[in-house]
Amino acid sequence: MKIQTTLAGSYPKLPTEPGDVNVRVVRNRRDQGKATDQDVAQAVRDTTRRMIAIQEKAGVDLVQDGCAGWDDAQTYVARGLDGVRIAGLIRYLDTNTYYRQPEIVGDVKWKAPVTAEDFKAAKGMSSRPVKMLLPGPYSLTRFSKDLHYGDPVKASRAIGESLAKEARALEEAGATWIQFEDPWLGRATAADAPAIRAALAPVLADRTAKTVLNVPFGTPTGIFDSISDLPWTAIGLDLVEAPGGWDLLPRIPKGRSVALGLIDARNTRLEDATDVARSIARAASARPDLEYLLSPNASLEYLPADKAEAKVVLLVEAARLAARNGG
Amino acid sequence: MSRGLWTTTVGSFPKPPQLERARQQHARGEISADALFQLERDETVKLIKRQEEIGLDILVDGELYRGDMTTYFAERMPGFAISNPVRSYGNRYYRKPIAVGPIRRTKPLTVEWWKFAQSQTKQPIKGMLTGPYTMMDWSFNEHYPSREAMAMDLAAAINEEALALQEAGAKYIQIDEPAVSVRPDELPLAVKALGRAAQGLKAKTITHICYGDFDVIYPALLDLPVDQIDLEMANSRYDLLERFKAQPFTKEIGYGVLDVHNHRVETKDEVKQGILRGLEVLKPEQMYVDPDCGLKTRTMDEAFAKLQVMVDAVREVRTERGIGA
Repeated sequence: MKIQTTLAGSYPKLPTEPGDVNVRVVRNRRDQGKATDQDVAQAVRDTTRRMIAIQEKAGVDLVQDGCAGWDDAQTYVARGLDGVRIAGLIRYLDTNTYYRQPEIVGDVKWKAPVTAEDFKAAKGMSSRPVKMLLPGPYSLTRFSKDLHYGDPVKASRAIGESLAKEARALEEAGATWIQFEDPWLGRATAADAPAIRAALAPVLADRTAKTVLNVPFGTPTGIFDSISDLPWTAIGLDLVEAPGGWDLLPRIPKGRSVALGLIDARNTRLEDATDVARSIARAASARPDLEYLLSPNASLEYLPADKAEAKVVLLVEAARLAARNGG
Repeated sequence: MSRGLWTTTVGSFPKPPQLERARQQHARGEISADALFQLERDETVKLIKRQEEIGLDILVDGELYRGDMTTYFAERMPGFAISNPVRSYGNRYYRKPIAVGPIRRTKPLTVEWWKFAQSQTKQPIKGMLTGPYTMMDWSFNEHYPSREAMAMDLAAAINEEALALQEAGAKYIQIDEPAVSVRPDELPLAVKALGRAAQGLKAKTITHICYGDFDVIYPALLDLPVDQIDLEMANSRYDLLERFKAQPFTKEIGYGVLDVHNHRVETKDEVKQGILRGLEVLKPEQMYVDPDCGLKTRTMDEAFAKLQVMVDAVREVRTERGIGA
């Protein structure tokens, strides 16, 4: 069977080895006036290099840039949009992490590329394809407070059209894989379908890059019929927290891929590679016609750096074991 | 004359800069644990005096000796290890507990600090604990077969500490459960675990929860087996009051009137208006007026400026409405 390994979300920014660049320390020094913004930018680049090196050393097929400069999963990109201002900290779903809430205060418009330079930098550091991350347009809308449109479909469409331009900028920079992190798809009901389609249709239309629609913390069962015909390449299923995702496998359209989120990014307990390989075999047995990616169920940044690195190694080990066993 | 509208705080206060520096120095091995401990005690004494001076009715020790609200307890309980730093937002990190074996309470966790704080004042000091559901939800789990198993072991351990606080004389025991509001599907587990943690307590029991999906968890929230539920009201522009009109709030309420996420100090009039809106729906004897949440993210000056406004606003409302303390 064919299975590619990859990550989801962002990666821990802190080093595991003393003496390695520590972007947290550099940022603190900048805040104390002892380092410059340039120093921080360099630390972010050096951190990206380390994140990619960890993935390459482990043997990850499709590496991610790790989002070393992101404060949270929404605002890095949302800050670049006209019509959006960034407000106070609130809890990110049921995690003990936070994000600054975007507020939609006018017509949302894309201004300029935010992530394209990050892609170019990461591409220059990697011998493998680099998958870039963008906020899922439906989730970015749901995480935002709409003070302007007063209509979830209009707000979703505006966000979707803006992120489509960011995706286009990534493609123009050479990106061949783009992953949209869209956890709210796993919490939506059929009533949300019009807004979801309004958000997703623009970002998925006319893509030259392959796209992963990743749904951590839930399963998009309730709205899957509304998104199954949209032209995504792969759907990411969180099979750790939402085992109901297994029931979606028979409904995946032919010719698509599934990112199997089988590695728990929210717990330090290390999985048994044999168990993970067995789950891969289960998927391959149920739908041998699909192609698969293996990934954590969510961002590995929920873990401390040492545990995240161990999970990256495990991820590759499990995929190789599954391949040896013939899926 | 009716009584009510007692004033208090949710628990944490900001650490004074000299204490922050000392904690960092201690972490680097530059000052001893004894030196840090002495400074924590000195600053706690000052904090209690300031609470008395502005006229709060029910005081706290301020938790100046604690870091993270889960890690403090985990560091003192067998069965927990502490992780390397995990990011919470931006450049903020904390060390997260990991359950690596059966979790037990083998020694007092907060009782000595409570006794010390209470010895400094005649006003009551609340005993402050982190609840079992939140401890479970905000920890990694490498040991327990289920979330429930971990939560219930924690509940038993926290119950021992709560009983020890009561034995020491605590009249108010607050068992915070900020994680409850974000996983409505697990509210029954939170209720069960908090019930176990509060088992056998005669002291007034309180829990603080943070703003979450109230459309889903209210009024089931009232099943939490404590006397008082402390809620963020100001942060949500008091919109919960509309829910309370339709479905009455049947317990005592910790009624948050100060936005702790904002540097701006509220005006006395806006706090008064918030209290008066509450009195349209709630009885004064139900209401304990406090900030929305812990004050540790404010500066000390901001925290006390906000609290002074709150106390002054309560006094005016008491006078105007003939409510005794």
